[in-house]
Amino acid sequence: MRAWLCLLWGVLMLTAAHAEEVVLTLSTREVAITTNYDGATLTAFGLIERDAATIARSGGYDIVVQVEGPRGTIVLHRKGAFGPLWLTQKRQIFEDTPLFLALLSSRPLSLISDEDVRARLGLGLHYRMGKQPAPLDPGFVSALQRLRREQGALLEDDKAVSMIRPNVFAARLALPANAPPGFYILRASVLSEGVPLKTAEAGFIVRKIGFDAYLTTNARQNPWRYGLMALLLTALVGGLGHFLFRRD
Amino acid sequence: MPLYLPIAEISLNLFTLLFLGGAVGVVSGLFGVGGGFLLTPLLMFVGIPAPVAVASASLPIAASAITGALSHARRNAVDFELAAVLIAGGFGGAGAGIVFFEWMRKLGHLDLIIALSYVTLLGSVGVGMLIESLRAWLSPNLAPIGVNPSPQNPLARLIRALPWQHPFKRAHVTISLLPIFVLGFAIGFIGLVLGIGGAFMLIPALIYLVRVPLGVVVGTVQVQIVLTMFATTLLQAVFSQQLDILLAFVLVVGSVIGAQLGARAARFFSGIGFRFGLALLILGVGLRFGIDLVTHPADRYSVTHIEVTR
Repeated sequence: MRAWLCLLWGVLMLTAAHAEEVVLTLSTREVAITTNYDGATLTAFGLIERDAATIARSGGYDIVVQVEGPRGTIVLHRKGAFGPLWLTQKRQIFEDTPLFLALLSSRPLSLISDEDVRARLGLGLHYRMGKQPAPLDPGFVSALQRLRREQGALLEDDKAVSMIRPNVFAARLALPANAPPGFYILRASVLSEGVPLKTAEAGFIVRKIGFDAYLTTNARQNPWRYGLMALLLTALVGGLGHFLFRRD
Repeated sequence: MPLYLPIAEISLNLFTLLFLGGAVGVVSGLFGVGGGFLLTPLLMFVGIPAPVAVASASLPIAASAITGALSHARRNAVDFELAAVLIAGGFGGAGAGIVFFEWMRKLGHLDLIIALSYVTLLGSVGVGMLIESLRAWLSPNLAPIGVNPSPQNPLARLIRALPWQHPFKRAHVTISLLPIFVLGFAIGFIGLVLGIGGAFMLIPALIYLVRVPLGVVVGTVQVQIVLTMFATTLLQAVFSQQLDILLAFVLVVGSVIGAQLGARAARFFSGIGFRFGLALLILGVGLRFGIDLVTHPADRYSVTHIEVTR
């Protein structure tokens, strides 16, 4: 029965109206972290392509852009009363969790589509937080979202996407300085009247370049040389200070 | 002016960091001790992860001690034999410290260990110094507290009975190498784990326990700090890889300048006022950590560790 329905749906898709195509491009493919890096602003431009066979839409388009950064481990601690002291009592390790997530749209998600569609497309920060081992304290889950939001690692902006033309959109992403280096993927979903039409993807990379990359590479690969370099610098500056300000 | 720190992976204002380094230098120049007990907590308060703060604080402590060590050495106010034994102990302590540091970091207990140690260490030393300076203030003729050198005192008798008695010529004391080595070991261990120089503990210990004359103790401790801090930095760079050279460099520049300002300002204060001020400062930092431990936290949850896996 299910297979029949799928087949029917496939035939309908082929023979009936063409859906929209989305062409997505980014203002930059690489965010370079240099010594004076303080975050970056990226813009994603999208073109919604229609042809004669595309069915007419009475309403306009809605765009939801999700940005997902590199994944990693986050450890959360919860304090509890231990006699007169407040000490860490419980900790929860969240593994394989995105270390940066952004959800950009042109208006609040609840106005764009209903809960079922959002769940299916994973539109919503809570859908993307990663699957965790079963005995999970709900307090930790909400704390993770709240704290990561405070740290700027979870962004929700329902004014970040603007329609330049009825079929051209621009999404603005303000990447904070503490967003980790790594590969970021950007998914732009086009919806109309609550119905998902097409999702396009584009990626960008955040990496240290120049002096910062040199230092990080050295710290990891030549730790002895890196450490000795630090000692030498300190001895030089300390000695220089001594001779410059000498009073005796 | 933003400065991106490559190992801490955060962006901080360059002038904030210069100011922090400078403040530590001023404290060090003013009181003749490192000021690391002030620097590491301040770095954590501005948002630098605790392991990076601890690993990167040793160099500015060393830098502000270099000037003092050099001028004391020129005035022949350093007992190099005493310093050598302390440094040997310090290297051993730092080696044991990095094993403990890495073990606690892996278990995720490092932040708690650091906070608890700051409360107990700074609290006890601060209270002791406060009582001592108040006593000296109220009755200046009173003998300082310390180990009674009379043969009846059990601790003095024990130290005298230990093997490897050695006459330290410049310091005018004859004492076993063992307690000096153990003292150096303890300071090296604490210094590596907490990112402090430990002079605020070592100086009173040398004066009251070993009875090193005041004229020699500061110079000797400064030589010890420079070399022990170099050792802890190298160990952190190689084993924990949390040393942020850019952060350390900016702090070093700030602290060298601050140390000069502090040394000049020091002429306007009296010895007792010094100790009183330092005691208040140490106690204040200890209290700041203590208040965090006993008050109901505004937020019971905290993010303690973030690591990129891919």
